[in-house]
Amino acid sequence: MTGVAVHSSTGSPVSLAAMTEATTAELLQAAGGGSQDAWNTLVDRYARLVWSVIRGFRFDEATAGDVSQTVWLRLVEHVGRIRNPDRLASWLATTARNEAIRTKRIYERTVPTAVEFQIADSDPALDAGLLASERQVEVAAAFAELAEDCRQLLHAVTADPPLDYETIGQMLDRPVGSIGPTRARCLEKLRRSLETNQRAHGDADRGRESK
Amino acid sequence: MNPTTHDPDDRLLEELAAALEATDPVPERFVEAAKASFTWRTIDAELAELVFDSAEGELAGVRGVDSTREITFRTPSFEIEVAIISDGVRRLIGQLVPAQVGVVELQFAGASVTTESDSLGRFSFDDVPLGPISLKIEAADGATTQTAWTLV
Repeated sequence: MTGVAVHSSTGSPVSLAAMTEATTAELLQAAGGGSQDAWNTLVDRYARLVWSVIRGFRFDEATAGDVSQTVWLRLVEHVGRIRNPDRLASWLATTARNEAIRTKRIYERTVPTAVEFQIADSDPALDAGLLASERQVEVAAAFAELAEDCRQLLHAVTADPPLDYETIGQMLDRPVGSIGPTRARCLEKLRRSLETNQRAHGDADRGRESK
Repeated sequence: MNPTTHDPDDRLLEELAAALEATDPVPERFVEAAKASFTWRTIDAELAELVFDSAEGELAGVRGVDSTREITFRTPSFEIEVAIISDGVRRLIGQLVPAQVGVVELQFAGASVTTESDSLGRFSFDDVPLGPISLKIEAADGATTQTAWTLV
């Protein structure tokens, strides 16, 4: 479909500009009716959420791409069947997590030396885009040093759009009541890791700290 | 950036969110692939849900040895039993239960291949690519069924 205008269920045209203002329910309905534009807007809106879940598993890039694609194809097949559009973020996060866990198990089972299941141990400082400030690179580097449970939890609590604790609890298979305390514990670890790194770099970077 | 809160944890979390956003953006090709996946939308097919996957089982002690993965999809009226066999090439063999003759299409990223099931409901594909796949089955009476997309 190449046309810019799409049609709502009532038959009135909806402009592409209006797509970015549309509610998730409206987008799901339009996508269910065949609108590629509505679908693209949904992807733009939720891609970061899906990625944030998958990223926490540290797959190699090809595997991460396959898991991501599986999640979106699952949404394609369900796009006209989502009963509660308000829960789309939760549905995507849960689907992404389930697929990531399944994929991890498959690799652990079928790859004896885990050669293909490489830890993505790239240096965040090297990967950082030009837009990242020095401080942001430090924060991201400290985050990368955290244990997996903390990375996953902090990814979940910084998700955009935000997830409520109930959803996070389902995603991470944790009691809802434990999320607040775990968040505090993980942030404390992040803070300590940041301070340690700053001390370690202190001699070389003396005077370059922004605060 | 103006901090919107004075709670140290909330501030650090905001900083982390911004740092992750800046240093760990969604790979653009993932976004493009997600948008392109819309071309696989089907409106007339009944969805066959994944109900069993040996990769999720607790087959202890077979790590690295087990090269066959068994998956079952189910609709209210029939089952699609699938095995992915990796012995040099990756083959997919399947069976429709109860048996029926039909056209079976293996869909994967950007392409598809088609075969027919025999009188026992059996079908197979060679050289199955890595990545998400879906089987679309068109029965003799024209009814169409599509399996849940599954990463193999």
